[in-house]
Amino acid sequence: MTIRSPQEQETRQLVEMSWDPITRIIGNLGIYTKIDFQNNQVVECKSTSSLFRGYSVFMKGKDPRDSHFITSRICGICGDNHAVCSIYAQNMAYGVKTPPLGEWIVNLGEAAEYMFDHTLFQDNLVFVDYCEQMVKETNPSLLRRAETTEAPRGDIHGYRTIADIMRAFNPFTGAVYREALQVSRLTREMCCLMEGRHVHPSTLYPGGVGTVATPQVFTDYLVRLLRTVDFIKRAVPMNDDVFDFFYEALPGYEEVGRRRVMLGCWGAFQDPGVVDYDYRTMNEWGRRMFVTPGIVLDGELRTTNLVDINLGIRILLGSSYYDDWQGEETFVTHDPLGNPVDQRHPWNQTTLPRPQKRDLDGGNYSWVMSPRWYDERTAGYLALDTGGGPLARLWATALAGLVDTGTVRSTGHSVQINLPKSAAFPDMQFEWQIPKWANTIERNRARMYFVAYAAAMAFYFVEQALGEVRAGLTKVFTDFEVPEEAIGAGFHEAVRGVLSHHLVIRKGKIANYHPYPPTPWNASPRDVYGTPGPYEDAVQGLPIFEENGPETFKGIDIMRTVRSFDPCLPCGVHMYLGGGKVLRQVHSPTLGTSVSG
Amino acid sequence: MTKKDGDHITTGRRDVRPDAPAHVKGVKEGNACGNYDKQAGHLPDARSTAARSTGINAADRDPIDPDMPNLSPA
Repeated sequence: MTIRSPQEQETRQLVEMSWDPITRIIGNLGIYTKIDFQNNQVVECKSTSSLFRGYSVFMKGKDPRDSHFITSRICGICGDNHAVCSIYAQNMAYGVKTPPLGEWIVNLGEAAEYMFDHTLFQDNLVFVDYCEQMVKETNPSLLRRAETTEAPRGDIHGYRTIADIMRAFNPFTGAVYREALQVSRLTREMCCLMEGRHVHPSTLYPGGVGTVATPQVFTDYLVRLLRTVDFIKRAVPMNDDVFDFFYEALPGYEEVGRRRVMLGCWGAFQDPGVVDYDYRTMNEWGRRMFVTPGIVLDGELRTTNLVDINLGIRILLGSSYYDDWQGEETFVTHDPLGNPVDQRHPWNQTTLPRPQKRDLDGGNYSWVMSPRWYDERTAGYLALDTGGGPLARLWATALAGLVDTGTVRSTGHSVQINLPKSAAFPDMQFEWQIPKWANTIERNRARMYFVAYAAAMAFYFVEQALGEVRAGLTKVFTDFEVPEEAIGAGFHEAVRGVLSHHLVIRKGKIANYHPYPPTPWNASPRDVYGTPGPYEDAVQGLPIFEENGPETFKGIDIMRTVRSFDPCLPCGVHMYLGGGKVLRQVHSPTLGTSVSG
Repeated sequence: MTKKDGDHITTGRRDVRPDAPAHVKGVKEGNACGNYDKQAGHLPDARSTAARSTGINAADRDPIDPDMPNLSPA
């Protein structure tokens, strides 16, 4: 809903506009802004969540072996990322290592998940904001220009003009929209082949998998992968054409959603050759992951060491509906390397919810806490974002220069992705270059490149897995005992960014469990130091390019920005415009694009 | 429901232990330590034979050429 109320502030005429709910996370994310329509700029933004989940509360006392099945239910689209992350944390706690074939199977399942989720989100949800119908309503002059602008890579994807591509993005009728639905079915099948089920895997366990590794299962996967690759080879150039057009046709669009480059990536795809899930060697095996973990600060790689990343995590309050746990129990005083662990670290967090009235005027306004990363060099608490996932993953991997599988190569300034010959296309190489900005367009552009990345990686994983099978090494599971006392930490990438699970076991049961998925990082409110969270930061100061005035304002640039972070599945915007005049603009695709909205 | 200041979320009294439905002590589990090695058909070097899939003339189901990988159905 949007409530408009003009406010005089200094000499600026500000209009309050709010979108609540804006996205999924069970429809509970709200964005509250103050907009200066005379100068076409968003002046202030607050992001709020009105839902409390409480996993960290009710996981206590449960059997730790159940934690991946339970925490998988955190999300209805990337639940398998949670299951895998929980398994990584459990592996560390139990001191168990998955056999190589099991590890390749997990990697294959996760690669399929990235392909599935990114395709579904990009083509079926993000591109609704860039489709002909939407652009016609928000920026008619842009659409007129798109009609006469040739698509530079039209020879590959088959669309002559940019407007033709935008028409293909139209929900339910557009060709790209419909094809993406088919592709997301294929990629989901791939995930099911490896992990038993999607979204909540049934064959992933600590110590290994229950998937029966036959040559047939990998062939089934490969057949689907090759069909997906045909789609990807068209999608990447098509995405580039559209995003380049926005820069070209709307000078200054790079400022939309731009924020300081502060990206976090916790790494994905373990290398079974080195990973032993021992905390003490986490730096070594973390750096061998096939998506390099890292923190990118102002374009420089701050660290790739998972131990540093782990110890720097701080969960701050400030605008959240919780009591402080500073005086509560300290579960982990030192990590297994002897480093002190802060009371504000997830290992030591005690969740003390305190429901209260939302106060957007200097008080508490969200159930989301404020995860930050403590930078020792500047003694600052950094509000890292994930860039929607792919931007941070590609950026950290590109700068680190550690990944080289043949199918994917990190060069230190870019990531080269090689896709083999498929039915419709010869072999192709894509190169993702580090962009000049971390903004809305680049977050979206990185997404389809990462689909290509995951596909190229999947080819490598299939080869490795089949190598194991051909050697007759069919073992996929290692047994383990649950220790009486242990701690564990899992680091992984959920589809939309960093994911960590922190686990403390006492008397064989969970004493403390804290999952930190990407959206708490991205959607966090102002912390105790007044630092805004990434959504707030990216929307504040955002220039408005929408041609509609305040009366028919859709907030498309704000929506594109928030959605570029991939806040799970954006489903609807309900907007109420001032003075009792209620306008409901349903933003989710409805049947028939001729119907407005 | 009214809450006094200082109260946290009010919940009902639980009528089951949080870990009740899973992993009951004394019940034999497939993933218990040593179970994998005890079962027929699992070789110590991570390979397996047809005996892990069938108990009926398992040796006849192994590959005819010993150099071939032994890939039993499950």
